[in-house]
Parts: sequence; C-alpha cells; structure tokens
Amino acid sequence: MPFMTSPELLLNPVLICRNEAEKCLIETSINSLRISLKVKQADELENILAKKFLRFLSMRAEAFQVLRRKPVQGYDISFLITNYHCEELQKQKLIDFIVQFMEDIDKEISELKMSVSTRGRLVATEFLKQF
Amino acid sequence: MMAAAEKFVEADNAEAIITRIEHKSRKIESLLKQNKPVEALKTALEGSSHMICDERCKSANWIVVHRALMAIKDVEGMFSSLDPEYYDILMKYLYGGLSTGDRPTCDQCLRIHEKLTERAGLGCILRSLADTVNAI
Repeated sequence: MPFMTSPELLLNPVLICRNEAEKCLIETSINSLRISLKVKQADELENILAKKFLRFLSMRAEAFQVLRRKPVQGYDISFLITNYHCEELQKQKLIDFIVQFMEDIDKEISELKMSVSTRGRLVATEFLKQF
Repeated sequence: MMAAAEKFVEADNAEAIITRIEHKSRKIESLLKQNKPVEALKTALEGSSHMICDERCKSANWIVVHRALMAIKDVEGMFSSLDPEYYDILMKYLYGGLSTGDRPTCDQCLRIHEKLTERAGLGCILRSLADTVNAI
C-alpha cells in the first residue's frame, strides 16, 4: 500500500455524510481502495449491538476477503479492495456486495434491537409470574 | 531569499483573491435577490480554480459556492441552463459539501449529485477523485 511512501499514487479521499452520525470515507490509490463506514447508532443499545455485530464480522475478515480486520480510526467497519481482488472477483458483484451491505446493516441492527427487547420482555414476564 | 520573496508575492496575491471573492459574494447576493439562482451558481463557480491558493481563499470561496448551492430549489431546471463546462468544478464542490456532515447541506448536495451524475456521467466523478492538483 503506497499510503506512506508515495503521495503521488493517492487520489483525493472522498467523505460522504448522510448526516452528522452516518458517513462513508472512500480512500483510493492506484491499486487499491479503502471504504470505511460509520453506521447510525441512535441510542446506547444500538451502539453496543453495532459494535458487537461489526466486531463479529471483522474477526471473520478472511472469509469475506475484502473486509479489513480493524476499522479505520473513527469508523465502525472498513473494506479493503485491492487489484488482486478485482482480478479474482467480479467487479460488479463486489460493488453490489458493498451496496447491499450498507443497505442491510441498518435493518440488521434494528432487528437485533427488536429481538433483544422481545427476549427481555419474555424473560421479565416469566420471572414476574412467580410473584 | 527567493522563497521569502515568493511568500511575499503569494500573500499579496491572497489578499487580491479574497477581495475578488468578496466582490463575487456581493454579485451573488444581488442575483439571488433578483431570483436568479442558476446565474448566482455560475458566478460562484467561475474562476474557482484560480482562487484557491491557500486555506483562507479555499474556505472563503467555499462559503460563496455553498450559499449559491443552497439557494437552488429546482435542480432539473438548473441543469437545463448550466453549461457543461461547469460540471467538473460543481462535482468537486458537491463532494466538499458532502464531507461537511451538516444535514441540510448533505441533503442538497446528494440531490444535485444524483442529477449531475445522470448528466455528466461517471467520468465526472472520477475526474474529481483524480485531480489532486486542483483540489478545492
């Protein structure tokens, strides 16, 4: 990665913010591309769920190939796509994967939150039945 | 010795540029009052590549362009009167706006970005990424 050694091989990084809480940083060089995402975390529970879920994915980065083990500072998850990936994998499918990921991540976290609340409610109901 | 002389010239140049940007800003306010947002945007974008010698000039020019961008209500209509020569510089400023994180700015920039990409194509986006010399 030529990040530290040859600045002429880097293109302008692009930061796209949907709003104050959600953003996407795209850093390109001539042979690779790093996409970092910061996902929406409206409350403390979503914060914890997002962190756990994304850490779960990042730990299995090898299986994804294009995922980075550690997100870039200030972001929740990072993808690293190199020219080797583009040779082995189909470019359009890679793009679809990233876009799908971004679309699904919010839904995923909302579902996790709902299931936590549901389980909490069930447990509390069962527990309080004995009183 | 030469470097000091160059710095002196640049500082002078910066003052001249700031004055030009202020002049541009007054012209834009008057165009907006006459309900001509597209003309205002053209004025804001014109000569931008020559007005960005240091950080102060960059932010002054950004403020002017931002004012004009936020005043656009009819995006489709804007493109019917905006010349293609402005597309590349507009794309650069849109990415600048998207990086601010300010919700109204991001909403407006996303709206314009969609239409601009339809008109100008992916090449326009790539040129804004690849042009490291004239970064706004």
